[in-house]
Amino acid sequence: MKKSKRIPGKLLMGALILFFYAPIIYMIVFSFNEGRSLTVFSGFSLKWYRHMLESKDMMEALYTTFSIAILATLISTVVGTVSAIGLSKSKKVIREAVEQMNNLPIMNPDIVTAIGLMLLFITFQVEKGYLTMLLAHVAFCIPYVILSVMPKVRSLDPNLADAAMDLGATPIQALFKVIVPQITPGIISGALIAFTMSVDDFIISYFVTGQGVKNLSIMVYTMSKRINPSINAVSTMVVVIITLSLLLINLLPLILENYTEKGRRRRKIFWAATGAAAVALIGVFVFKGGLEEERKPYQGQVLKIYCPGEYMGENVIPVFEEMTGARVITEFFDSNEQMYIKVANGEAYDILIPSDYMIERLISEKMLQPLQQEKIMNSDLLVEEALGLPYDPENRYSIPYFWGSVGIVYDSTKVSAEELEEKGYEIFLDTKYKSDIYLYDSERDSFMIALKALGYSMNTDSEEELQQAYDWLASCVTTMDAEIVTDEIIDNMAQGRKALGIVYSGDGAYIMSENEDMGYFEPLEGTNLWCDAMVIPTNAQNPDLAHEFMNYLCSYEAAYDNSDFVGYTSPNEEVMEELYSEEGTYAGINAYIPRSGYEKDESFNYNAETKKIISNLWSKVKIVASNSGN
Amino acid sequence: MKKFSQLALPYIVWAALMLVLPMLLIALYSFTRQGNAIISFSFTLEHYRKFFTDSDFLLVLTRSLVIALKTTLLCLLLGYPAAYFISRSNEKIQNILVLLITVPTWINMLVRTYAWIGLLSEGGLIQQLGIWLGLGKIEFLYTESAVLLGMVYNFVPFMILQINSSLCKMDPSLLEAAADLGANGMEAFKKVTLPLSLPGVINGITLVFLPAVSSFFIPKLLGGGQYFLIGNLIENQFITAGEWNFGSAISMIMAVIMMLLMVLVKKVETTNRGGSEEG
Repeated sequence: MKKSKRIPGKLLMGALILFFYAPIIYMIVFSFNEGRSLTVFSGFSLKWYRHMLESKDMMEALYTTFSIAILATLISTVVGTVSAIGLSKSKKVIREAVEQMNNLPIMNPDIVTAIGLMLLFITFQVEKGYLTMLLAHVAFCIPYVILSVMPKVRSLDPNLADAAMDLGATPIQALFKVIVPQITPGIISGALIAFTMSVDDFIISYFVTGQGVKNLSIMVYTMSKRINPSINAVSTMVVVIITLSLLLINLLPLILENYTEKGRRRRKIFWAATGAAAVALIGVFVFKGGLEEERKPYQGQVLKIYCPGEYMGENVIPVFEEMTGARVITEFFDSNEQMYIKVANGEAYDILIPSDYMIERLISEKMLQPLQQEKIMNSDLLVEEALGLPYDPENRYSIPYFWGSVGIVYDSTKVSAEELEEKGYEIFLDTKYKSDIYLYDSERDSFMIALKALGYSMNTDSEEELQQAYDWLASCVTTMDAEIVTDEIIDNMAQGRKALGIVYSGDGAYIMSENEDMGYFEPLEGTNLWCDAMVIPTNAQNPDLAHEFMNYLCSYEAAYDNSDFVGYTSPNEEVMEELYSEEGTYAGINAYIPRSGYEKDESFNYNAETKKIISNLWSKVKIVASNSGN
Repeated sequence: MKKFSQLALPYIVWAALMLVLPMLLIALYSFTRQGNAIISFSFTLEHYRKFFTDSDFLLVLTRSLVIALKTTLLCLLLGYPAAYFISRSNEKIQNILVLLITVPTWINMLVRTYAWIGLLSEGGLIQQLGIWLGLGKIEFLYTESAVLLGMVYNFVPFMILQINSSLCKMDPSLLEAAADLGANGMEAFKKVTLPLSLPGVINGITLVFLPAVSSFFIPKLLGGGQYFLIGNLIENQFITAGEWNFGSAISMIMAVIMMLLMVLVKKVETTNRGGSEEG
């Protein structure tokens, strides 16, 4: 090769390496950022690392990722190697049948494997959690180990083991002293593939996990909607751990080589790798041990909460854990519908925090237990507007958590309040704001605005009216190029990325507290007055502790922390007034105090049939939006 | 030594339970009506009918296939020259380059995809670079280009590594022989190098196309909430809509399409190999 010919190649290589590493380096740099932004570096700080260390969720995700990866690697390497040796001596038919079976997870898209395993665990009623995640990882790792060990085994002299046994070795000795050392390179590369696959996996883990067990992938996926630089810190930790272990694996043989004769090298590598894995495993468990809090007198109990993501004050759970000594497991859902599916499939939680209409549904399907009011004395502190609502008129089953309205958040430098007042929801069809609007990915509230814009009740059961609402939304997404978002809207509107968006009042309050130019408007066509509340499902494992938690959340301290941090309206009267008062965090922010007493405002009722229609139509709106875009 | 063959027995049972049974369950769900109890199933084709009679669903499927195809082509265009360059470097540089390409694949895919959000977002480095280069303000995040970028980023290492490993297996004296027989560089590449690297190319295509079709986190993270590919459609059926039977039917459709494509690719590979052996 002439030198000159290699220049384009070098450029390409350089560009590729830059392409591979630029995002990683960018992420590492921004993990040390003082501010919250992902684009402006405002100074060096370790605060996101502190944040990460304090976040139990993140530390547990790190632990889950690596402990599962190490266990799955060890198990699948041993099982895979032994099976490969066995298969090499089996009949051809059997060998080929197993090869075909192994091809299933290799050749199928991950999502198909994931769904298959999920259906398997559900059909056989294996409770989803750490164990199912580990089983699933072992299941998809073994085929890769066999794939990499098999050629090595088959290239061995078939008489090798017999020769060893003729010389007096037991079958076990023949296996470990003769066969295994010969195939070590295959075993090591198989183990490496298994480890990579396990650390990298998201899709399969996502579908087979339960009980709030999450690995890093699941955490990033569920937390990525709002800017959270701690994710950068965790990711940097992963990069460091992986780089260190890679260095270890690459350097160990080199170091050992200097000390041992060549003939024994392979075995040494094998033992070195096993040793490294064992040390890592112990390290992980010690690390986990460090996470475990010391036991207090009446503890060891567990409270499982299932609630929307980013919906709780930072200190609420730590303080509660400190107070009671119990351990709290929180799991997050994106939508009430997602929550319902899990709970209806028998997953047990102690506390759920769904919305009004969903509570009505859960009550009607006898999935909730009545509360023991005497255990929730703090409910006296709650504001009248949040109590006795139609979904649970006597609050027999529920204690309000947050309440509010749905409205339009707008950039007052681009849209005037007068224009909004004049047009109401129809402003979302005004091409003046094409590509400048957000819709919220909630089937109910999207249909609510469409129905209200058309002058109908949001609780209509007329298919005709729902169809018209669908057309309204479809024309909004196709002609207006609307983006359908969930919680991303909070940071994006706070940065003023678009002129208009549909938000919940609490998010509106947060956005307005971050950016003075933003306003919140409740259209005159009426809106949804909603309330999210805490309930205890019938299959709760620890209802006593659940009552304790409810009582605690009604208290001034917890309610203050909660509402101050999240921005949603507190049902605790004193907290609500204090936060809205002149010294309060949300002083003068109208979104914090929802409109009350307006005749066109409604709250949702549950209706199984319209729910299904709306759900299908909303899926179609999103598909139409996606198909029309770009 | 026949005794050792028994070592495979436990795994055969395990594979039947953990690999085959799940597929059968998906098939079962896809052909039955609502409800999770398998005891009371009733056979139906309605889920398949629903999918194939709705142009919107079909459009989602074709868009997913098209973007996976684009990803694969881009990966091939970038990956082949890169792999070729690596295989022509001396051994030390080769090892370093392979390591440099492998390391990112060791870092979790979601983490790597998430890292792009900052680079691509409003006011981010890419936008500033665009302004600086006089390209104007590029809106990148939440577009199809961002999804394509995310996919190429995640999957191109597989392509490079596969092609590189088959190029490295090639005997260099073959090229010398070709040159001795009068072939120029281009001819030698076309007649010798390219056919011999084909197995690597095909493995690479499989390793890129397969995850690209079914990925749903890359579209969700970089394409935004209204960007729907077939993977998102399946996720949506299982996680939010609760239509497991319909979701299973879409999974089956996808699995069958993939299987057919794989068979096709294998066929191309074997006929090509047969052809080059004759020639």
